[in-house]
Amino acid sequence: MFGEQLLSNLAQGIVLGCVYGVATMGLSLIFGVLKVVNVGHGAFIMVGCFVTLFFFNSLGMSPFVAIPAAFLLGLGIGYVFYYSAIRRLLKAPELSTLLATFYMGVILQEVVKLIYGSEYRGFRWKVGSLSLGFTSLPMAKLYAALGSIAVALILYAWFRKTRAGTAMRAVVEDDEGARVCGVNVGGVYAMSFALGIGLTVASGVMLAMFLPVGINPYMGAEYTLKAFVIAVLGGLASPYGAFFGGLIFGIIENGSYTFLAAIPGVEPFGMTRFLSFAMLLIILLIRPTGLLRAK
Amino acid sequence: MMRTLDKYAAIFPVLVVYAVLFLLGLNMSGMWQLMATLLFYCALGQAFNIFLGMTGYVDFGYVAFVGMGTYGMAVTITSLAGTGLGGLTIIAGYIMALAFSGLLSLAVGAVALRLRGAYFAIATIGVNEGLRFLIEGTNLWGGSGGIIFTRQLNDILGKDASSALATFWADVLVLIIAVLAAITTIVYMRSKIGYALTALREDEDAAKVMGINVTMFKILAFMTSACFAGLLGATAWALKTPYVFPPEVFEIHYTIEAIIIVMLGGAGTLLGPVAGGLIYGIGKYVLSIVLPGFQLLIFAPLIIIIIVAFPDGVVGGIRNKFGHTALGRFIL
Amino acid sequence: MMKHVAERCLAALLAGLCLLLFAPGTGLAQSSIVIGHPACLSGKYAKAGEQAVGGIKACVQWVNQEYGGISIDGEKHKLEYKVYDSESKKESVTSLIGRLITVDKVDVVFSAYSSGLTLRGAPITESHNMLYMDHGGANNKIFEQGFDYVVQTIGPATSYHKGTLDMIKQIAPEDKRVALAYEDSEFARMVMEGAENYAEELGFNVVFKRTYPSGVNDLTPLLNAMKAADPDFVLGGGHYEDGQLFCSQMADMDFNVKALSLIASATLPAFYEALGTNAEGVMGPSHWEMGVTFSEESAKEKGLPWIGPSQEEFISLFKENTDKNMKPDYHAAEAGAQVLAYALGVEKAGSTDSDKVRKALGDLEFMSFYGGWDVNENGMQVGHTMVNIQWQDSKRALVWPESAQTSKPVYPMPTFQEKDQGAVAVPE
Repeated sequence: MFGEQLLSNLAQGIVLGCVYGVATMGLSLIFGVLKVVNVGHGAFIMVGCFVTLFFFNSLGMSPFVAIPAAFLLGLGIGYVFYYSAIRRLLKAPELSTLLATFYMGVILQEVVKLIYGSEYRGFRWKVGSLSLGFTSLPMAKLYAALGSIAVALILYAWFRKTRAGTAMRAVVEDDEGARVCGVNVGGVYAMSFALGIGLTVASGVMLAMFLPVGINPYMGAEYTLKAFVIAVLGGLASPYGAFFGGLIFGIIENGSYTFLAAIPGVEPFGMTRFLSFAMLLIILLIRPTGLLRAK
Repeated sequence: MMRTLDKYAAIFPVLVVYAVLFLLGLNMSGMWQLMATLLFYCALGQAFNIFLGMTGYVDFGYVAFVGMGTYGMAVTITSLAGTGLGGLTIIAGYIMALAFSGLLSLAVGAVALRLRGAYFAIATIGVNEGLRFLIEGTNLWGGSGGIIFTRQLNDILGKDASSALATFWADVLVLIIAVLAAITTIVYMRSKIGYALTALREDEDAAKVMGINVTMFKILAFMTSACFAGLLGATAWALKTPYVFPPEVFEIHYTIEAIIIVMLGGAGTLLGPVAGGLIYGIGKYVLSIVLPGFQLLIFAPLIIIIIVAFPDGVVGGIRNKFGHTALGRFIL
Repeated sequence: MMKHVAERCLAALLAGLCLLLFAPGTGLAQSSIVIGHPACLSGKYAKAGEQAVGGIKACVQWVNQEYGGISIDGEKHKLEYKVYDSESKKESVTSLIGRLITVDKVDVVFSAYSSGLTLRGAPITESHNMLYMDHGGANNKIFEQGFDYVVQTIGPATSYHKGTLDMIKQIAPEDKRVALAYEDSEFARMVMEGAENYAEELGFNVVFKRTYPSGVNDLTPLLNAMKAADPDFVLGGGHYEDGQLFCSQMADMDFNVKALSLIASATLPAFYEALGTNAEGVMGPSHWEMGVTFSEESAKEKGLPWIGPSQEEFISLFKENTDKNMKPDYHAAEAGAQVLAYALGVEKAGSTDSDKVRKALGDLEFMSFYGGWDVNENGMQVGHTMVNIQWQDSKRALVWPESAQTSKPVYPMPTFQEKDQGAVAVPE
């Protein structure tokens, strides 16, 4: 019984972890290139959830179609926000970008509230479930995990194989050096920010597949905090690191429940949260550059 | 004498603003509760600024210190109710609040202050959230059920006194905390601590090489800021708001508000948190009255515009313009 | 150049804001009676807040138009409603209540929403000897604090799941194994405490009792453990999104119980919209639902005075006063009923003086579309009984108490597999 529950929780944790991972990549990308922490991160994820809702409920289309659509929408939002505010703030104290991104999130929340109201929404994607013997995994969640992995792989290939991706990596390494080598650093900044936002909004679709209920304008706040922790686990400036950080975080959040439930007098579910934040602190102490960051 | 006056001249505008706020609140009908809210925001900014302004470190989990101060007061009141200590209980509560937030800041400071930039910010988020889930998960101090202690406060002080405390004296205490935080800020800025921390903010490694004991000064500023947060929590969130629910006292949004207030005014300036607190508090208040339900939609772009127009904050911007004139010495 | 323009615009704007700040409150006509409300129109309680404002507006309109105003000494007075947005934040709640009482000179203050925000405002209203009516704070402890002017319309949290337990004891006395799983929040924990005590009182066997943290996005660890405890039926919930998650993940796991009752979320139309047929047979306790059968006749049967719009009137007034897509839920009804209670209280007291109205409300007992209304000496609501709804064939049926039944409860509810194949919960 114990083993079965543990296995089941771990399997669920891996699936959840993939979604956490992809939902953090955009944050890491933006931090890696621009050194801007996107405090409105969760609100962008929320937009992705609403895009899914719109495609599924209003257009009757599969959530898969919503992934590119959400990505493009995010790209657009990213460019608008970059040129209207972020670009002017890159030279300002780092705190000003913290605030600007936070209030961008607020704008998105309030606009979505204006359109959709503050109701908690959801949809039901009937695609069955996969039996693993000890537990059954809903296919929708599995698709969410596979979609997450696919997005991560596409991003990886894009970084390695395209000129733009190479330029971006060059800026991450050394922006002055890149400038000298003829890289349009300003353009790379704009593109990275937009790409990061695009990824984040697209990850909202994956999240909605994983969790097709409870979608509302203020749902993002939880994910902002989690994304911060996950990003640090993965080394903060590395999108792939973030993906693995998410995986670890998901496994700990779900997998530790069975052990914690054995401790009398505590609420095991609340303690899983405590454990994941405690782990963050320990990792920051022993390896401040993140668990997975290569030298 | 003149030199000392000159050195601390910048405190006067701050004191004048607080005095005006206090008198306005006292004399205009219906304004007291608003002034109390404004004072809370100013005090929050002022306390937060001691660390952030001088070191440039962003403590995202700052609200945890406010929360611990709140718990310090609440736990004292509930455990000492019925002992007949009367007003002494409140003093004991303040001592506990200071102890809670001070000890936490010592622990966090010794550990997390080795980190820099975003890593430090995120580590402090971890402290805040971890603490909240620890309290909820282990059912410490009532767990998520929290503590509601109006009755105990009434028992200790009597109903009229406790009501006066919640609606008037707590706000006066917030004002005192704000003034003390402002004075501490200028004393630090004008002393060795200030110079060391300024050196640190500009270039931490260089400061270390020059033999400045960076860690000690950092921890000192960090703990001072945290202790003010504890006092503020004990006052505005315990005496004025006689309940504690963990999600409310560890709500990260308050840190963001503190950052906004400091940023709007100008980080590292003395007058900044006051200006920021006023702009933020008044802006929100007016919009919530004029456009209930839509204020954030107006407020959010407005803040972004202000940040873009005044990257150094309003006070910072004014200082850049008038800093070299005779007025300069009053703007810090 | 741009920067200068921006600076000037900002300066002008800030100056304008300051002017507004000190502008005197709108001069309300002397003869009207004013309700003040620091509502939660944005922030985390926005959903409940919008509902409450709609409900209050609907009932204010009813009092003014249908009822003809509130009569004091034969003179009719109109009701006015003054609402600000507290953004669901405690700092704003006190400053807005301060303004409502001293600048706008309202006659009664309605609480914001949630127990916390209600408690935050109480010291201010108490110190002004101002009547403070609570339609959104369910924590029983509010009424153990010795407040003199707090009067509740929403029922206390400990009573939420009592009706469900009564029902199961009656229709399936052999099913003793109950699992409790609530959100770890002050409100839901209080519901859990009430449910646990009452379950033990009725002789149920609590086989599982756990909480889950707020903002949870995967409940499987908890549901796995719960499944292992093999309960007959499950009581739980806390808020909106977690309730939807609860049911949806039970379906994912094909974890079947004979009854599932969730607080807050299950009673809302959005629950079925989000979950589809998986919601079939799920139950939820509610203060009020569209379709409850309280009417002038039922009031007569109980010997209670009746006031207010009929349910249909209330729904149409609500729609008139809100966005057309909104349907009233219990947040709207309890806030609306509070307007009616206040109107009756003032008439009974013959004055708008808070002390007199408070006393009158203490003696008042009446019925409206919301059901019974009666408070104990502490101001806590004791006259209102909750109803239990069940999703039956995509509609909310009232299944408990028997006196309010529109349909018999379906017990056990269909399994998730049956529901997946289109089975709906219909009573035989």
